[in-house]
Amino acid sequence: MTHTILICDDDRDIVSALDIYLSSEGYQTVKAYNGREALRAVEQNDIHLILMDIMMPELDGIRTTAKLREGSNVPIILLTAKSEDADKILGLNIGADDYITKPFNPLEVIARVKSQLRRYTSLGGAEKGPGLLCVGPIAMDDSAKQVTVDGSPVSLTPIEYNILKLLLSHPGQVFSSAQIYEQVWNDPAYGSENTVAVHIRHLREKIEINPADPRYLKVVWGLGYKIEKGANG
Amino acid sequence: MKKLQESHLSKVVAAVLMLALVFTGAMFGLKAVQAVPYLDRESYQDTAEFYRLCRTFEDQIASAFALARQLEAENLTYVERQQLTRELEQLKQSFDSSATNFRFVVCNDAGEDVAFNLNTAEELPAPVHYARFTLGEPWAEELDEDSYAAVEATAVEDGVTEITIKAPAGSVSYTIEYAVVPGEQMLESGVEDALCHLYLRYDTATSTFSTWVGVAGSCLVLAAACILFLLWTAGHKAGAEGIVLTWQEKIFFDLYLAAMLVAGTAIFAGGWWLLEYYYHTCVEQQGQEGAWLPLSIAALCALFAAVIALTLRTFAVRLKGRALARTTLLCRVLVWLWKGLGKAVRWGLELVRSLPFLWRTIAGFLAYFLANVALFNEARYNALAGAIWWLLNLAVLLLLCRWSMSFRKLRRGSQAIAAGNLSYQIDTHRMPHELRCHAEDLNNISKGMAEAVDEQMKSERFKAELITNVSHDLKTPLTSIINYVDLLKTTQQDDPKALEYIEVLDRKSQRLKKLTEDLVEASKASTGVLSVNREKIGMAQLMDQAMGEWQEKLEARKLTLVTSLPEGETWVYADGRHLWRVLDNLLSNCAKYAMEGTRVYLDLIRGHGQVSLSVKNISREPLNVPPERLMERFVRGEESRTTEGSGLGLSIARSLTELQGGTFELAVDGDLFKAIVTLPQAN
Repeated sequence: MTHTILICDDDRDIVSALDIYLSSEGYQTVKAYNGREALRAVEQNDIHLILMDIMMPELDGIRTTAKLREGSNVPIILLTAKSEDADKILGLNIGADDYITKPFNPLEVIARVKSQLRRYTSLGGAEKGPGLLCVGPIAMDDSAKQVTVDGSPVSLTPIEYNILKLLLSHPGQVFSSAQIYEQVWNDPAYGSENTVAVHIRHLREKIEINPADPRYLKVVWGLGYKIEKGANG
Repeated sequence: MKKLQESHLSKVVAAVLMLALVFTGAMFGLKAVQAVPYLDRESYQDTAEFYRLCRTFEDQIASAFALARQLEAENLTYVERQQLTRELEQLKQSFDSSATNFRFVVCNDAGEDVAFNLNTAEELPAPVHYARFTLGEPWAEELDEDSYAAVEATAVEDGVTEITIKAPAGSVSYTIEYAVVPGEQMLESGVEDALCHLYLRYDTATSTFSTWVGVAGSCLVLAAACILFLLWTAGHKAGAEGIVLTWQEKIFFDLYLAAMLVAGTAIFAGGWWLLEYYYHTCVEQQGQEGAWLPLSIAALCALFAAVIALTLRTFAVRLKGRALARTTLLCRVLVWLWKGLGKAVRWGLELVRSLPFLWRTIAGFLAYFLANVALFNEARYNALAGAIWWLLNLAVLLLLCRWSMSFRKLRRGSQAIAAGNLSYQIDTHRMPHELRCHAEDLNNISKGMAEAVDEQMKSERFKAELITNVSHDLKTPLTSIINYVDLLKTTQQDDPKALEYIEVLDRKSQRLKKLTEDLVEASKASTGVLSVNREKIGMAQLMDQAMGEWQEKLEARKLTLVTSLPEGETWVYADGRHLWRVLDNLLSNCAKYAMEGTRVYLDLIRGHGQVSLSVKNISREPLNVPPERLMERFVRGEESRTTEGSGLGLSIARSLTELQGGTFELAVDGDLFKAIVTLPQAN
């Protein structure tokens, strides 16, 4: 089944570039150049995902998202040149599922589109078992010692696996390096915690689409690490 | 009510009514005046008119006796005798009881009745009056109580005095006893002589006086009411808001009043003169002067009332219109004089103020000193001078106190402004002139400075906004460039040079992306528009995390990280994300500019409430730039700008550190580069 993606931006060249990337990945695309056109396109087509700019004439991305959310739960990824935190938080609060900051990496766009589509179409994902830990797209089957992100298995080292298990079982809680070290290594920490930081960076590179801008495994600078509680999806 | 007040007709009616009432009142008043001679008299026989009539009768009786005596003389001619007889007859007829109401009995000194005009069996009616005359003297002397001293009186019977006068020898004296017929009998008998008329007039006057006075009084009261109504309506005019001043109010009030006083006095004097004349002729003398006299007196009264009403009206209008002072010449003159005086005083003060301060001080002190000496000398002889001396010194002391208090206020204000409170305004109320000028200058300076600071803040904000907007506008085309370069890479390129060019495009567009991002961050950090969420942050944890991020990249550059930490966790209050950016930038600098194969030292030191983190590395290139310059925007240690840095890293790091209340220092010692971030320690 091919998915239809609505691309909406007031810059036509960006829309064309995204069209080329997404078409080459086998998606169908519908183009719109402002919020009103996007709303009309959603009414006329069966849209599975929307990529939308925030700063647009006539009706901006935030308002359009709010309008769309009145009657639809189609995934929305906001494209924004405003790299300010306030805009991101506002967009996510109003009902957007993810965001990508301009200038974006085409690979990141495709990865995020795939991730959102997989979650939107998998209808509840894997069934929850007693040994199953799930946060967003990350699922850990403890009995099988297997971790999947958006359904694709990820290979982790035992230490990375244990760190992830610790964080997944306490979503939202911040663990300092020393705590993680004591829990995972079962040794008192004697200033050798920076190995934890290195492991976590590796772990982030494996499960995050853009490790420099993580969505799930977050660094709380000066305090520790955490898995985002209630992360999108 | 308002309609009535503004109606022209009502005013005219009231004015006419007022005049008519005064006129009528005056007419009735004049009638009442007629009764004035009879007031306070016991009866008509107590009036002056009655006495005058009686005197006439007495004289006539005396002359009749005189005539009779002349007739007795022998040497009279016939004609003379005839003439005297006729005169006597006339007198006798006039005293006939049917012609007059006057009754008398004449007695000689022997007590015999010698003449009378009583009817048969008629007695003298009470009260009886007495008079006495001596033959040869043509007038009678009336006897009343005042004559007791001159005459030797013996009481004959109750209430009646028999008087004997020592007459000269050879003369014969007679006593007249007389009375008037009672009023009822007079009217019955129908004898209308002067006595009867007097009796009737007296009766009418006494019975109607109170009526006339009442009527005249009511008329005057009503007239006063009319005047009050006129005063109430004065100044109101239909179709006009407020009080309307007429031509009368254009005349100065004092002039108007003077004119009215003159007119009023003239009218009053004229009226008074006429009244006197009327009283004298018509009332006292019972003369008939015709109707013109009372009419003209009443008319003058009405005229006088009109003058009073006009004066009161204009006074009321001026009061209502608040124009009394304005339309009074005296007030104008006084105000003008007052203004002139004020101007003169101000001019004098200005003159004093225009003198240099030093001169004024010297002049003031000299004046004080001389007054002091003079008063002190004088005080030995004069207690008043002593009191003034005390008062003078007390006043000077108070003046000095006021000066120093104001000066203290000024001092406090300038301290506040110096401390940076630019919105502070010194209260210049009740300050001496010199200090007030100074305080106002300071206020203006602080206001100007506050405005300048405000302006600067605004322009910084504006700059930050501009940079944000520009970089936002840059990012949109940059996104297209990056994407299309990326797409270009996927196309088939036969020419190896084309691949090389695409590679350059790719690299440079990525650099441009980094530059724009750094530019926005640097501008936000330096203008303070970034939000700072300060929390308790573990520095050891942060360093640990930073090393986790950077260790491998540094190792790839053959750089070794050496850390030294104090025992336990070191807490600071900072915004974790911003602090991470500082550390990230510093480590990124190490990765970019440190000489390969050297060590990078990360030291954390705490003490004296401060926590400082230092990053040291050996520069690959010689650092020929002073450390202050290194922190400026777009300055890099090497002159050739070929490497990937934007030159903003240190600037951003410094701005972010300062935003969190810390300090950022750089030190360069040969090739050793050292950055120190100092933050206050949290407990």
